[in-house]
Amino acid sequence: MSASHTAYSQYVLDIDLSSGVIKREEVAPRDIERFLGGRGVAAAILARSMREGVAPLDPEATFIFSMGTLTGTNAPMTGRSGITFISPVTGLYCKANVGGHFGLYCKLSGIDYIVIRGAAEHPTYLWIGDDDAQLRDARSLWGKGVRDTTAELEERHGHNINVACIGPAGENRVAFASVMSSIYNAAARGGGGAVLGSKNLKAIAVGRPHQTCSPVSAEAFGEAAADMREALYADTMSDSYYTYGTAASVDTMNETDTLPSRNFQRGRIERIEQLTSKYWNDHGLLKGRIGCASCIYSCHRFVRIDDGPYAGACSAGPEYETVSALGSGPAIESIGALQCANERCNDLGLDTISAGGVIQWAMETYEKGLLPAELVGDMDLRFGSEQAVTELPGMIARREGLGDLLAEGTRRAAERIGGDSWKWAVQTRGLEQSRVETRGALGYALAFAMNPRGPDHLHTECIAEFGMTPEMRGLIAEITGDEAYARSDTTEKRAEIVRYHEDIYAVSDALGVCAFASTAAYGANPERCARLFSAFTGISLDADEIMDAGRRMITLERLINLRLGWVNDPNQYAPWRLMNEPLKTPTGDVPRLDEERMGGMVREFYELHGWDLESGVPPQGVVEALALEEFA
Amino acid sequence: MKRLVVNPDACTGCESCMLECSFQHEGAFGLDHARIQVERREVSATFRPRVCIQCEERHCIAACPVGALSIHPDTGAIRVDGDLCTGCGLCERACPHGGIHFVQGVKSPFVCDLCGGEPKCIAMCRKAQAISFAVIGGGDER
Repeated sequence: MSASHTAYSQYVLDIDLSSGVIKREEVAPRDIERFLGGRGVAAAILARSMREGVAPLDPEATFIFSMGTLTGTNAPMTGRSGITFISPVTGLYCKANVGGHFGLYCKLSGIDYIVIRGAAEHPTYLWIGDDDAQLRDARSLWGKGVRDTTAELEERHGHNINVACIGPAGENRVAFASVMSSIYNAAARGGGGAVLGSKNLKAIAVGRPHQTCSPVSAEAFGEAAADMREALYADTMSDSYYTYGTAASVDTMNETDTLPSRNFQRGRIERIEQLTSKYWNDHGLLKGRIGCASCIYSCHRFVRIDDGPYAGACSAGPEYETVSALGSGPAIESIGALQCANERCNDLGLDTISAGGVIQWAMETYEKGLLPAELVGDMDLRFGSEQAVTELPGMIARREGLGDLLAEGTRRAAERIGGDSWKWAVQTRGLEQSRVETRGALGYALAFAMNPRGPDHLHTECIAEFGMTPEMRGLIAEITGDEAYARSDTTEKRAEIVRYHEDIYAVSDALGVCAFASTAAYGANPERCARLFSAFTGISLDADEIMDAGRRMITLERLINLRLGWVNDPNQYAPWRLMNEPLKTPTGDVPRLDEERMGGMVREFYELHGWDLESGVPPQGVVEALALEEFA
Repeated sequence: MKRLVVNPDACTGCESCMLECSFQHEGAFGLDHARIQVERREVSATFRPRVCIQCEERHCIAACPVGALSIHPDTGAIRVDGDLCTGCGLCERACPHGGIHFVQGVKSPFVCDLCGGEPKCIAMCRKAQAISFAVIGGGDER
């Protein structure tokens, strides 16, 4: 048998698209010790590659695929991979993380990172076969959707390959173009697809891998993996994630006015029934469940519409975020229209969260009379318009008419339309807020304010603050000393709660552990992550040390953003609407995120980190303590 | 006697069973080296586990020209005699279940040995239950 790793090492496949030169290099062991792998090492590679004056879509910009350190193993829910780049929409550091099987295939091909530099002269794809990586002509793939691109690559290379690719949205540099892998899995946020489009890189196709990887301590690894598996099976939420997926609690959220609707003007819609995963299960729309590599929950689901105007519409999902972004957000109540919109976004390579965000912004702008008639044409742009949610994704991806305006995201679209339209562009730093009603969830509000890529949940999923399960309440007690802090409507202890979740999330992303295993269910705690990492790599870390590495990653990401011009701007702690308008509900108003409460939480957060209380800059002492001098 | 039972409709294609199988037998994670294989069609989300189900017919034993395959008396799993096996591949071709396969560079075929009577892959599939270990065909232990 070919054993890829005897003593532990990681490898970079370094691709210069401009020259066509491909190199394979070993990662410095010190980088693995400090940053664990995956997102952490990718951030270090990005930081070292950054040059003054290079814009995110310039050929000189660097784009990195990274596989988790444990990806490719039987440790539960470790199939994740990631992308790291400077976002063309925020101009800041961005990472996005994705499931599917792409990471597994790369890992068992002996590849831990793929670093993309330069730009190809014409559309190109990267083929990775046995001990072989080649750049190939992708002109016949250009313009094709994700399904057709994957199908054509399977025709060429066989049905047992795995593909990551962009759709037409990425080719046309849409600000929220995603990178899709395993057809339906999206590394969605921040416009990574646009960066690959600017480089003329349509796809990476990986042949079925024939290599193996081995833990340095096989017995200890097997025990640690089994221990984590049992903890995840035992989690209170595990049945729900399998049975109902991520959209399990949509109806409850609607009842409690926490389901963002009508561009964050409301927290509920009239008829929620069809947007719930229970409905899809009970009415035969759920055709199957899809497991990412080594997942034991399989929350990802495949839904097909069998009759009515949207018969045949099918895709994986819709996930919770999509249900809210393209369902409750634009006041769509039909699963048919929602799944049609979801299918189109996935195939075009669009982030559904931002696609839903720009569509809702367009609806509100239209209803307020600010959208020019020539842009509207004969489209029905009122809230509730199924025509808008199903037709606009294609227009955005192809940059047709109104779609061209929306393709730039809500911040730039509002700048062009003018008036007060910026006030209902629900974004900060250019990124549309993900679908959390943060006016009633103050931990999330702080997390969104501090997230280096903008206001979303995938750096710091702190759902534990709602205290819905014994595991969530137990974790809050562990972090704060008192289970009573498992309530989302107080600013107290939010800084501590956010800090824990930031660190464990970074560890998860570095190891390739699904954040669902560490921040939604809780089997992947610091101790178990440390045991797995130590047994696999032979680099011995305990729970505290692995969380310190998480903190090192968070700090490195802040240092990268400071180089890119990030400033601690209280106006950017939350979208204008959420900082200035209360949420109206039938039982009363939920107060706005005022400057005093937000500023107070941010200062506590900075104090915990030892960062400057006003500027948010990590001082020299903190940088040295984390061994980050190279990046300061 | 218990057998592996496969329910393709329930398979989510996660390949956890394959990684566990490879690890239990080889101490390393790989796809080829798993005795259970999962055919994956991502576009339609259809997945099909392929593994020896200890069928009545035992086509592989009948096909082997040198008598290298036999039934383990305790578990009912197929046993491969590596000394006798010539690596001709007739067993792989004879199996209608895709339950026995060869790996490049290894002479003898890979086939499920039920981990000596306690198949470890089952624990990976507790939610979906696409693979289970049960008495079928007139048994009384179900």
